[in-house]
Amino acid sequence: MAIEVSRRQFLGAGAAAGLGAMLPRGVRAQGKTLVVATFPGTWNEAHRNLLAPYFKKRTGASVTQSIQLATEQLAKLEAAKGGRPPFDVAILDEPQVLDAAKQGLIAEYPAAKSPNYKDLFPVYQDKWGPKISLQVIGIGYNPNKIKTPPTSYDDLLSPAYKGRVGLTALNSQLGMAFLAELNRIKGGNEGDFDPGFAALKAMLPNVGAVAANLGAYATLWQQEQVDIAPYNFNFVQTLKAKGVPVEFVVPQTGLVGWTTSLHLTTNAVEPDLAVQYIDSHLAADMQSEMEKPPYDIIPTNSKVPLAGAITSTVAKTPADLSKIRGFDWTKINPQRTALIERFNREIRM
Amino acid sequence: MAAAASASRDDWPLALPLAALFIAFFVAPFVVLLSLSLQAEQAARAFSLAQYAKFFGDTFNLSILGSTVWLAVRATLVCMLFGYPIAWVCARAPARWQSLLVFVVVLPILTSVVVRTFAWIVILGREGIMNHALRGLGLVDQPVPLLFTETGVIVVLAQVQMPLMVLPLFATLSRLDPNLGDASSALGAGAWRTFFRVTLPLSTPGLVAGCILVFSACATAFVTQTLIGGARLVYMPLHIYQQAIGANNWPFAAAISIVFTIAVMIVIYALNRTGRASKAYGDHR
Repeated sequence: MAIEVSRRQFLGAGAAAGLGAMLPRGVRAQGKTLVVATFPGTWNEAHRNLLAPYFKKRTGASVTQSIQLATEQLAKLEAAKGGRPPFDVAILDEPQVLDAAKQGLIAEYPAAKSPNYKDLFPVYQDKWGPKISLQVIGIGYNPNKIKTPPTSYDDLLSPAYKGRVGLTALNSQLGMAFLAELNRIKGGNEGDFDPGFAALKAMLPNVGAVAANLGAYATLWQQEQVDIAPYNFNFVQTLKAKGVPVEFVVPQTGLVGWTTSLHLTTNAVEPDLAVQYIDSHLAADMQSEMEKPPYDIIPTNSKVPLAGAITSTVAKTPADLSKIRGFDWTKINPQRTALIERFNREIRM
Repeated sequence: MAAAASASRDDWPLALPLAALFIAFFVAPFVVLLSLSLQAEQAARAFSLAQYAKFFGDTFNLSILGSTVWLAVRATLVCMLFGYPIAWVCARAPARWQSLLVFVVVLPILTSVVVRTFAWIVILGREGIMNHALRGLGLVDQPVPLLFTETGVIVVLAQVQMPLMVLPLFATLSRLDPNLGDASSALGAGAWRTFFRVTLPLSTPGLVAGCILVFSACATAFVTQTLIGGARLVYMPLHIYQQAIGANNWPFAAAISIVFTIAVMIVIYALNRTGRASKAYGDHR
């Protein structure tokens, strides 16, 4: 049975659809949609469950998430350069911010339009976009399989964990920061990654899986494919809340961290909404919600006291946060391509 | 034949819309890709073959290309081995069973490839269904590594792409005249002899079509390869992705893409030639 549509009906329907598209939009942002980038894991969940409803209440606009890593966002923004970017808000880790600014992919943040910006600790204020959190990495392990909690990254090399160690590729900041830290512990520095790669090679018999992306990395834990691996503090907290057997420990060598920030992309379609979205993330009440489990996102607003698992594991005071080790990304960034290539070559089956 | 040829001479404008679509969304981007691959470096205007020299001058790249083709070949063989009997059963089944069987065969392509692949992670994992079953049966003491192994990737690719093998084979086999088989056995040939001398040669077009589809789908299956294989098993699609997105090296990524496309086309061409040769052989008989 064919559906018969006369030419007149067809034209009529087309005209109606066309008129609908031309109707004036609401003066308020009601009905508008803001497209934002977010990271996989804790971030997209917190942004979907907390930030999007908060933002909707504030502006009436809804949010469409695009889940991707910082490197992927840069590639897509670069591809769209000169036209409309695929999303209005980018979420970047510390290393990518400088590149994005240099390539003209993100706009300077209009702090004057963002009432919550002034409440951030000065170290988290940045002309290219406010820091929304600090991400730290340590060791994640499965307490059902490993009875004595690991104490250092050297434990990843222990013969006891043959085939039980997980790693993630260098496209994620987790992979890159772990390599940099392992390299530092083994005597290397930002200009010399030989010790780090030597340690990774020594670790290979233990490595049961190298996840190609962070989503697959979480699955490794859920399926108990790996028992011990470098991992983000937040990601462990989020997985734990889902009933996955995983615990986080701070290795003897301390935590490694980096800031994560939100940015207004160049030529954004809805720049005002984008700034409101970013500003919502900075609000004290929003950040205290995000600080609660299962997200445990470290706040950057000076009015939000540190609380919960953050104080027991990461830092008791904001001063402790400033002691968390970072790396000189301006030195590592130019080597990123070479490091990824070297990782592919040396960490193969 | 003559009638068909003259009809196609008059009907060619019917292909214009598709041709326009093809030119706009395949040929044009391909030309962009090609010109990108001829850049010496990012944003350089000068044309050069430097990217290709870099690719072929490095055994690492060649080994990735080789292992990708080899992976697809093995997955295709598995599909062939398991798909042929299924297609045969479908073709020989009574008409009312046929549609049900075909539906079962097509079922895998009705779910998203991401969902299917994650389901396989649950099946193949250390604590997955497969390992639990093996241990429950007392066949193994330690979990067998299946996930993040080439074997795992081949198994999943074969399952995911199976319909692409079965459907063309089914179409060919169901058109086969059953009298031919009867004639062969009446002349004294056994079941196997009939299969190898009559059925198999006559079903070659379907087999070749199935192999072409499965091979190209397996070689380029980015999602399955990366999720089941992980980052330690690097195949061409992941290699291209890493160069384009991770390393932001577009000219090189474009060059690898071109090389990969050509490599897949060569295999398809070879398969096509095999198909034609055997068809000619069948016709002369």
